Parts: sequence; structure tokens; C-alpha cells
Amino acid sequence: MSAQMMENFLQAMAAGLAVGAIYGLMCVGLALIFGVMRVINFAQGDFMMLGMYAAYYFFAAFGVQVVLGSTVGPYVSAVLAGPVLFCVGYVVHKALIGRVSGTRAQVEGEGHFAQLILTLGISLIIQSAGLIAFGSILVSVRTPLSSSAWEIGPLWGDLISIFVNKSRGIAGVISVVSIVALAMLIGRSRIGKSLRAAADNPEAATYMGIDVDQAHRIAFALGVGVTAIAGGLLATNYPFHPFVGLEYVIIMYAGVVLGGLGSIIGPFWGGMTIGLVQQLSTLVLPTQLQNTAIFVVFLLIVFLMPQGFFGRSVERT
Amino acid sequence: MPALRSLAPFFIFAGVYAVVAFAVTNSYYQLMMTLVLVWASFGLSWNVLSGYTGLVSFGHAAFFGIGAYTTALGQIHFDLSPWVLIPAATVLGAIAGLLIGFPTFRLRGVYFALAMLAYPLALLYVFEWLGYQEVTLPMKREAPAAYMQFSDHRIYTLLALTMLAVIVVITRMVEQSRFGMALLAIKQNEAAAEAAGINTLKWKLCAITLSGAIAGAVGAFYAVVLLVVTPVSVFGMLVSAQALTVTLFGGVGTVWGPVIGSAILIPAAEILHAELGHIVPGIQNVIFGVAIVILILVAPEGMFWKARDFVYRRWPHLVATAAQTIPAMPAPCTRSSAGKPSLETTAVSGVPLLSVRGLSKSFGGLKAVQNVGFEVSKGAILGIIGPNGAGKTTAFNLLNGFLRPDAGQILLDGRDVTRRKPYQLCAAGVGRTFQIMRPFARMSVADNVVIGAYVRSDADWEARRLAADAIARVGLTEYAHRLAGELTTRELRLMELARALAGQPRILLLDETLAGLGHTEAEEMIGIIRRLAQDGITIVIIEHTMQAMVRLVDRFVVLDHGAVLVEGSPESVTRDPRVIEAYLGKKWTAYAQG
Amino acid sequence: MLKVEKLSAGYSDLPVISDVSIMVKEAQFVSIVGPNGAGKTTLFKTISGILTPKSGRMQFENVDLAAVPAARRPHLGIAHVPEGRQVFPSLTVMENLEMGAFTEAGRRNWKQNLERILTWLPVLADRRTQLAGTLSGGEQQMVAVGRGLASSPKLLMLDEPSMGLAPTIADFIFEKLLEIRRDTRLTILLVEQRVAEALESADHGYVLEAGRVVLEGNNESLRANDRVRRAYLGM
Repeated sequence: MSAQMMENFLQAMAAGLAVGAIYGLMCVGLALIFGVMRVINFAQGDFMMLGMYAAYYFFAAFGVQVVLGSTVGPYVSAVLAGPVLFCVGYVVHKALIGRVSGTRAQVEGEGHFAQLILTLGISLIIQSAGLIAFGSILVSVRTPLSSSAWEIGPLWGDLISIFVNKSRGIAGVISVVSIVALAMLIGRSRIGKSLRAAADNPEAATYMGIDVDQAHRIAFALGVGVTAIAGGLLATNYPFHPFVGLEYVIIMYAGVVLGGLGSIIGPFWGGMTIGLVQQLSTLVLPTQLQNTAIFVVFLLIVFLMPQGFFGRSVERT
Repeated sequence: MPALRSLAPFFIFAGVYAVVAFAVTNSYYQLMMTLVLVWASFGLSWNVLSGYTGLVSFGHAAFFGIGAYTTALGQIHFDLSPWVLIPAATVLGAIAGLLIGFPTFRLRGVYFALAMLAYPLALLYVFEWLGYQEVTLPMKREAPAAYMQFSDHRIYTLLALTMLAVIVVITRMVEQSRFGMALLAIKQNEAAAEAAGINTLKWKLCAITLSGAIAGAVGAFYAVVLLVVTPVSVFGMLVSAQALTVTLFGGVGTVWGPVIGSAILIPAAEILHAELGHIVPGIQNVIFGVAIVILILVAPEGMFWKARDFVYRRWPHLVATAAQTIPAMPAPCTRSSAGKPSLETTAVSGVPLLSVRGLSKSFGGLKAVQNVGFEVSKGAILGIIGPNGAGKTTAFNLLNGFLRPDAGQILLDGRDVTRRKPYQLCAAGVGRTFQIMRPFARMSVADNVVIGAYVRSDADWEARRLAADAIARVGLTEYAHRLAGELTTRELRLMELARALAGQPRILLLDETLAGLGHTEAEEMIGIIRRLAQDGITIVIIEHTMQAMVRLVDRFVVLDHGAVLVEGSPESVTRDPRVIEAYLGKKWTAYAQG
Repeated sequence: MLKVEKLSAGYSDLPVISDVSIMVKEAQFVSIVGPNGAGKTTLFKTISGILTPKSGRMQFENVDLAAVPAARRPHLGIAHVPEGRQVFPSLTVMENLEMGAFTEAGRRNWKQNLERILTWLPVLADRRTQLAGTLSGGEQQMVAVGRGLASSPKLLMLDEPSMGLAPTIADFIFEKLLEIRRDTRLTILLVEQRVAEALESADHGYVLEAGRVVLEGNNESLRANDRVRRAYLGM
């Protein structure tokens, strides 16, 4: 293998890891929702889009740029998008989603139908409302970091240098930190354990005095909030518009299925893998087919290895 | 043909629509009138798969887009006329349906919906990559009609109306045939459908093939009308969503749904777009979204069903059910000689009808059924009992084909039927009822029962006859035209029994048939079961209510921890110390004897 | 402490239990026996609030339970150890116990409770970091009981703790239960398939058949009573 190919490969790997971390965070948000509530949230991509716009407005309109500057500002805005979307998700669940899922509704089998359709409807509303509110012009959160990069190398005796875009790198790091924080929340805190208990066995959870419907609401809000942060981070690197959600939906689902339906942290690795596949596929495929590569991977996983890396049986005890 | 007669309202609607179409002169509204019909047709195609079977497809845009591009590219590259290309698109759509269906039907629930989602999006990117960002159909000035190009837009409306009419007729015929019934049965309870003799995979593939064919044709026509095809406009999410929305709004699982939904939503959306589009872009999608959300919360099955339920409650006689075409009922308890016989009976007295030997099944490390063997003679009633977790339901599922045994044999009348699928066992004469019933609430009792008869006869009229017989045998004749949703538990259990009987079984596996029945009702059921046994049907029954069982069965087989503990008459078994120990614990026996 | 009066409950239109009345006084040990399908689990689910009764009343310490949502009832002091153990498989043993202590009383008394639970059931201490889903049936049953105790309950309801367990293990669980009872004078409501064991230690017993109470009394009157056998076997 020539040095050039090696360099291209490593470059793609580095890019893949950075963007993969953000995808991973995005997928974990969806996984939280599916893992705890067994709800297939079709609108997850659109909530993410709202997160992107939230980050943008925090940065450009609500003063974060003024206060914190363009280097730190974008990332703070991205993180701020989380709590905002948490509240949005909470309200949406309470008003709508809670009616077709959870302890009051039959979730398996035909019950799926209602949730799928409802979230599809919500998706349409968010997209179109987004178009009305934000217009269709592409926007992005500008940071000077996106045009500079760290150089790793020269390696292998002056032959290879890998450049990691600073902005993406930082976004990747923030994603990893967020995931770790989330993992600790889910793993160690009382709330987190009660969510896992409610996911494992809602009836037994009720016997413990856990309000399962409330647990679902929190899981949904948390899932939306987490994906929103990922969106905010993506917003610092790629321009976006109100329909961007659709493009990411398949990535999210592919990552979740690959990571394992039913696992909450596993999909981080799923998203990471998807990011790597996407970047590595640019080495062999033309740009437009990148996403097709993802679909093919997705279909392959669904057919050959539906339980993913860390999946458990999707059936409840 | 009854199918056409029942469509009278549609043809009236079509006639009115055609007149209105001719009156409209504004080209924008003309286009809209055509599009209403196009989306209604597309909705109907979605309905064939997802409305009837309940398998939600988010990917119908795949077929639509294939149809559209077939026409566009066929005309550009090969100079073929849409008159030829639309049928071609139909065929391609069908093939696509089959190719997609075959692997994807192996997936359950969530995975199915997600996979279906992926197909059109993948195609979208492929077509973009192939360079077909915007494909325009060439204008043909020499012979426009030959290329389906008309300057008077109203002709398109008429063509669309014709297309819709054809699709409506086809769908209606499907709906009322056994194809449609089988699909509805699958939607309601796939396991029960299999046990009733329906080859579910075959019917699902038929559904997706037909669905794909129709969608392909509609997509092709759409291309002709709009003259421009872009990947997003035919493969995009919104396309699939549109099929879904109009059907959902109008009514799932019925021919009227997509038509109503389309007739209301499309004009609403277009008018809103026209009036407010410049101030509030994308308003029509918001409306669609809100419509879906409200609908799912308030009337999840669509407006048609909500309206029909309303009418039925006030004026029941106005609601027609297909069952009203049943021929006159024969006298109760007459065995119909129509229909294909199940296995050739070579049973000489003494040869057991059902013989089970060494049946075993383990799940992981757990031995659910261990080396179980017993025999049942023709016309006997055998009860399988045992404490909780003894393996009774697993044994039933093995006898019925839902589970494959790890070891052992099941012989029906001397023939090995051990590894057959449920619908094959049903054809061989094994009938089954289920503990949890899921009837088709909006269909009549007769319609619910006739599903069970399809395995026995290829002719629809004959199947209806068998169903009527079965209904008479359980004494439900007066309820035959009532909607299943109104029945009490007792009537539902009788209906379940009738459905199993309609398949002319030689042996009936009854799973907790008495559950939920009061004392008198249980007595009645016991009487019916005894009569069936006297008629020559062999019965194997699992039941918790021991009081009823001891009076009904001839013999018991007692299972404990998956193995046969004891066999014998009710008297001997209920006093057998081993059985008492299994049910009440060791210490109890000690007390009782000490 | 617990008074159930003419309770009828079930799923959809069928009542599984009809007109059931039972009473559990403070510090009593009450057993309910009966065949499968008799409605024992349905009764427990109704007391816990998973099922809504069709008619009848339930009172716990003079509080009408109809006004209390299911997730609040454990906080009143009703602990339910469900049929089939129902541990949280992806949580560790210790986390399962922590979930038991989700109630207000449980949180207050966590330290003392934990110590006592681990003394009664030392296996739980050995396996504290093991995932509950990987334990054996008997160990899971101990987790379930420990979880119930961790809520600092006033009333401990156990639904068929011996089901699916080998006899020796079932015996062990039962002995532990009696030990806990001796140490704490906890009020216990037990549903059991092993009739003699259930009645032996009980102050009072009820026999449920086809959704109704057909017999009640103390150990002497019920023991070796053929009516009990008939309830299970039909004749």
C-alpha cells in the first residue's frame, strides 16, 4: 500500500471518528427512547433540526456569540440546545405521545402502528413549521475553528500527515464527554436506574413505586435533548435547513440497530461505525453514493444481524 | 357481479366527478382534480398491503418512483409511448414488490417498517448519482395522443378517473374474495390465521406484488401528467407519507378510505397552498401533519370507519355485510359433504387418530417438554392437565406446528406430520382454538368464520356453505350477521370454535375454551364439545377449570415439569397421589394419608 | 390492615374474581391457596393497582385504595413480590435492591434494611454486582424477596414464591420467609401452590376457586380437608 493510500485511509479514519462520535451521541438519544419506551420516534431527526436552530439562535441572536466569542460560543450554544429540547420533548410526550404508548396503551403488535403514524405526523408538522419559522436558506454556526486543523504527524518518517479539523475534533470530544456524562447518569443515578427498571419490566417497576409513565416522559425528553446537542454540534460543522432531519433519520436508525435495539449506550458504537463507514466509503465511492452505502449497511444489518452489537431481546420479561 | 353492484356509490361519484371536471376551466384546478385521483389511487395501492395486512410500509415511494422513471426514461431512451410504458411500469412494480417482499417479510414489526423506509431513500440517492436529477418528458408535436400528451388537461382527469375506477374494482374484488379475507385475518392475528390453514407468506407476497404493481402504474401516470421527474418528487419520504396520510384519514382497510381521504385532503392542501403559500410556505404539510396527529388520537382507523360505526349504532340495518349473500342455512348438525376431504381415512377401529411419541423440546437449558407420548382414538376427548409451567401450552404448540420438536414424532392417522407448518397441519385436519381471541371486530360472524373454511374449498360459495354449517353446529346461527365487536365472551368462544370447525377438522385442539365463562355458559360449551365428539371429531383440550374438565373428558394426561406423570380416567387421576403431590405439594399428601 | 370487600376484577368483560372478601390484620400471616386460574394473581394485581376493580372496595390502613394510583401504593407500605420473580434482568443484584428502596420509607431506612436483608439472604451479598438476569431461579427469588423487603413495607405480598423452583430451593425460600417473619413480625399475605406449607405457618387461610372464596379457616380446619383437594382437582 502506498503512503498516499495509507494517508488517505488514516485521514478518513480520523474524520470518521470525529463525525462518528457526534453520530453516536445522536443515536444514543434515539436509543434512549426506543430502549425505555419501545417507541419508534420518527420525528427524532426533526427534533434534532430544532436543536440545530436552537443552537444557531442562541449563538447569533441571544448573545452567546457576543458574550463568549466565536471560538467557545458555538459549543456552548450546542450544549444549551439540550435543555431547551428536553422541555420541548417533555411537553410533546405529555400531550401526544403518552396517549399512544406507555402503560395505558398496548405497545406491542398493532399498537406500534399508532406510534409510528403519530410520530410521522409530528415530524411533518415540525418540518413544515420549521420552514415557516426559519425559512429555507441554509444557515450554519460559524466558527473560525472549522477552517483550521491540527496536524498529527509527520508520521512514518515524514511520509504521512493526518489533519484533524479542529472544529470537528472538538465537537467529537464534546460528544464523547456528553456520552460519558449520560452513561453515568443512566448507570449511577437513581433516576437513571429507575428508567432502566421501567424499561426492563414496567409492571415490576410499578410494584417498586416507580411511576412508569413519568419515567417514559423523562426518557423521551432526555432522548430528544441528547440528540439536540448532537445536532447543535453538527450545526457548527455543516450548514442545515429545516428538512435536514430526513437525511439523518436513516443514519440514526442504522446506528441504533447496529448498536443493538434495547441497549442504550451500544448505539454510540453503532453511530461511530456508521460515521466510519461514511468517511471510509468516500475512498471508494463517489460522494453522492455515500448515503446509499449507509443504507446498504443498514439493510445488511437488519437482515443478517438484527440484534446488533449489544442488543438484547427486544421482548420484555 | 356483486362486486360491481356494491360499487354503485363509487360510479355515481365518478360520474359526478367527470361532470365537474368538464366544467372546470382553470388549468390549476384541473391539475388538482387529476392529482386527487392520482393520490387516491396511490393510497389504494398502499392500502392493499398495509391497510389490509397491517404491515406498515413507509416505502411505497420505491414502487411509485420506479414506475415514474420507467415512463420517463423509456420515453426518452427508447421512444416508447406511455400507453405501452404504463403497463410495463405495472409489471416492474410487481417485480419490485416481489423482490422487496421476499426478504423483508422475514422481519417483524419495527424492523419491517425500518427496512421498507430504506428502499426508496436508497433508490433516491442512486438515481441522483446516476445523473437523473431532473428528467423531462420530451414534447411530441407530431402525434401527441399516441404519447399520451393532450393539450386539454381534462382528458388527463378522465384517464385518471378510469385508472382509479379500474383500481377500485380490482381492490373491491380482492376485498371480497378470499385473498382479502386472508389478508385481514393476517392483520388481526397472524398465528391464528396460520392455524386456520392460511399460508400467510404466500398471501403477503401476493399483496405486496399487487400493491407494487398498482403503485408502479400510478407513478408512471404521474410522470406523464407532470412531465418532470426528480428523485425527491417520486422517491422522497413525503411521497410515501402522502399515500399513508390520505388512506389513514379516509379509512384503512377499505376501498373507500383513500378516495375519501384524497378527495378531502388534497384540495384542502392545495387551496391552502394557493391562498397562503406565499405567506406561509409549506402550509400544506403542516395541515397533513396536524391531520395525522388528530386522526391517530381520535379516530385511528380513519373517517370511514368512524362514520360507519356511528351509522351502525343508530341504524344497523343500513350497514350491509357481505354475509348477506350466504345461501340458506341447512339444519343444525348436518355434516356437509362438500369440500375436499382431509386425509384419506384408513382408520380401522383400534388405530389411534393421533399418536405422539417421544416428543421433546428445550429452550436453552430449559426442558419444556420431555419425552411426551400419548394416543388418542377417534371420537375421544383427551384432557391435558398439569400444574403451572408443566409444558401444556408448549405441547399444544408442538402439535399445531408453531414449534418444531427437538425429538419425537407426531402421527396423524398413521402418517408422520411432525415437521409440518401450521397451515399444512390444518389442511391435514388439525383444528385449533386460541386462548386469547382476536376477532375482526368490524366484520360479521359469518365473515370471521369463513376464513377457516378456505383451507377446505377453493370455491368461495362452497367455503361460505361450510362456514354456515359450522355456525349452525355451535348454535350461533342467529348471530351470523352481527358484527363480531358486539359479541359477549361466550359468543366469541363459540365463533372461535365455529372457525376451527369450518375447516372440517378431524381433530380439534382446544386451548382454554372455557376461560371466562360463567357456570351455565361453561355447561353449554361442554355440551357442544361433547356433541362434536359424538359426531366423530377427536378432541384434545387444555383447560384450567378442573370441575368442567372432569365431567367432559374421557381420559387425562397429566404433565409435570414437561414429562407425562400419569394417564387415566378422571376418577383415577384425581385421586392418584402423584397428581395430588404435583398440584398440592408433597406435604399435603403426607397429611392426607397420615 | 388490609380489608378487601366483595371485590370483582378481571380483564375486558370477563371477571376473573367475583365477590372476593379477605382480611389481613396487623402482624398476621395469611395464606391464599387455590388452583391455577382461580384468580390469585388477579387479586394481587388489583390490590397493587395494575388492574382496576369492577366492583368492591379495598382498604389499606383505613385508606380507600381506589383513590390511590398504582405507583403510589408501594409508598403506603404495600410490597408486592410478583409471580415469576420479575427481577430487573439488566440491573445488578444491588441495583435491584436499590429499586426496592425507591419508596419513601425505603430510602429512610435503607442502611438498616440492607444490613438485615444481607444477613437473611447472604447469597445476595456474594452476588451483589452480578446482573440479576444471569442468576438461577432460586437466587432470583431471593432478589425479589429482598427487593420487597427493601421498601420497608408494612404488608408483604408474595405471589407463588415457590413456582418453578426445585423443591429443596422452594423449601429454603420458605424457611427464610418464616425466619424473616420471626425476626420482624411483618404482616404477610402469601399465595402458594404448595398448600400444606402455606397453611402450616399461617394464622388464617383462604381457598380460592374459579374466582371465589370457597373456604376459609385456620390450619386445623383446612388441613387434610378434602374440599381443598377438590378445589384443585375437580372431583
